[in-house]
Amino acid sequence: MIKETMTPTERTWAAIKLEPCDRIPVAPLMDVMFPSRHRGMTVAEGIAHPRRGFQAIVDTFDDAGGWDAMIIPGYSLPIPPSISAVMQVVIGDTRYPGKDPGIDEDSSPQFIEKELLTIEDYDEMIKLGWTGFAEKNIGRFFPLDPELLLAWTKRQMDRYKSEGELWKSRNIPSLCGALVMSPLMFLSTRRSLISFTQDLYRIPDKVQAVMDAMVDDLIKFAIEAARTTGIPGVELILERGGCFYYPMKIFERFEFRYMKKMIDAFTAEGFITVMHLDQDWTLNLPYFLDLPKKMCVSEFDSTTDIFKAKEILKDHMCIMGDVPAALSSIGTPAEMTAYCEKLIDQVGKGNTGFILSTGCTIPFDTKFENFQAMIDSAKNHLPQ
Amino acid sequence: MSELANAIADLKEDEVKKIVQDKVASGADPLSVVNECRQGMDIVGQRYKDKDYFLGELIMSGEIFKEAMAVLEPKLKAGQSEKPLAKMVLGTAKGDIHNIGKDIAATLLKAAGFEIYDMGTDVAPEVFINKLKETGAPILGISGMLTPSFEAMKQTIQALEAAGLRDQVKVIIGGGIVTEVVRKYVGADAFTDDAPEGVELCRKLAGAAKQ
Repeated sequence: MIKETMTPTERTWAAIKLEPCDRIPVAPLMDVMFPSRHRGMTVAEGIAHPRRGFQAIVDTFDDAGGWDAMIIPGYSLPIPPSISAVMQVVIGDTRYPGKDPGIDEDSSPQFIEKELLTIEDYDEMIKLGWTGFAEKNIGRFFPLDPELLLAWTKRQMDRYKSEGELWKSRNIPSLCGALVMSPLMFLSTRRSLISFTQDLYRIPDKVQAVMDAMVDDLIKFAIEAARTTGIPGVELILERGGCFYYPMKIFERFEFRYMKKMIDAFTAEGFITVMHLDQDWTLNLPYFLDLPKKMCVSEFDSTTDIFKAKEILKDHMCIMGDVPAALSSIGTPAEMTAYCEKLIDQVGKGNTGFILSTGCTIPFDTKFENFQAMIDSAKNHLPQ
Repeated sequence: MSELANAIADLKEDEVKKIVQDKVASGADPLSVVNECRQGMDIVGQRYKDKDYFLGELIMSGEIFKEAMAVLEPKLKAGQSEKPLAKMVLGTAKGDIHNIGKDIAATLLKAAGFEIYDMGTDVAPEVFINKLKETGAPILGISGMLTPSFEAMKQTIQALEAAGLRDQVKVIIGGGIVTEVVRKYVGADAFTDDAPEGVELCRKLAGAAKQ
């Protein structure tokens, strides 16, 4: 065990600010599923019972001997109390374990890719703006009294705050007080990948006009959420705008200009941005040098070349990741230790600018001994 | 390279529609038109390899190819359609209902000349096995986006062995989270997280299956 001279909060923020750490911090992207199973519940039970689900996360933290930070506090969603904010979340077809056909009680929720927004919706979004569109169409996507929906967002927000407070009382920082998608990520997942891709090539000007109509509202929701939760960071969910999906000219026009506008606005509020970068972004990395220095974290899922990322971004932003999901679920502790030590040596070089983490959310079928090996790697191994 | 092949390669959707319709109207051999379309798709594949094209262009070219085939297929006389490169059974593993990666792979494989039996999502091992027996397909593709799909893939390959078909069927697994470690774990012959690479691997597997 490395002799620790910093608290988890000091260590994590030092890594983000590219200042020396006593060791590399470790912060898995945790949700309720893996902890529920680890503590003897099914995934469906953990999801259905917020208090028990969150307690399972806390118990898992204790079982593993603790880690350094929560990227999000764990169970709830930080949604400001407005129809236009909640519409970001409720437009979607997610199937839940134990509730929907084909999803076993002990499996993870699965997002169904289908066209929930139409081409005609684009016209209305441009005409009414996102807020006007959302208020007019909420009933189409969610057949419930809007007042009940707003009460639900309040419960979510209250829980999010109290979950963050619990971690704070243990001197464990929560990094993100808001979750928001880029316009591209939102439209791609709600139009479906194939239809949205056709839109980008067939009607690019209209897509851009929709994004222009959306982006300020997205910024507003995120800032309001982070202010309300009191956690000065935003998890910006990207994925579909990187080089796995599109060439640079599309990235520049439809992703980077909006993500930069969002991140600049968050930075002006004093919030950091954790960029959730699933899939491959290797060719996009040089663009990140135009984002505010020491105010962003690039969170990779093992598809991007994280070693190349270190080479390019080392003096500019912190890197987080990227333990592959397969290693967590079917690997061995020895394989996990070897991979994490390689990350610490190469991406954690200089003993700063790196937070060891899972590649995307921790898989619900992670073997606890593998998880423990990941946590222990950070506690036992200094960059060589 | 023909005007049609170049139009597909350059993703000129309207131009492709017009050329195909003109060719059909003028009585051109539909099979040769299909082959021109395939040549265009080969150029797309090469541009992807060269990193000039990305998944977005593959999706667009696949959709353009499908539109062309919707015009050409009714014109192909019975028995005139070319012999497929190989038959292939494809589906998402049991317990996983993600379809997007599988659908993109199916489109590109069809464009490359494979005859695809798409079993959909959440496919049980016995459903894969029954379709392999029925069609005699020498390749099985299993897609998965969730870690539990590894077990379902493994069980499918074990069922293939139990059915005495393992020597006759090559298995490729695909999805954003599959790796060489996963390939070994489930006992597959190949893996990919990249649709065009998957097409290339299937071509190789088809060749190996014939030997």
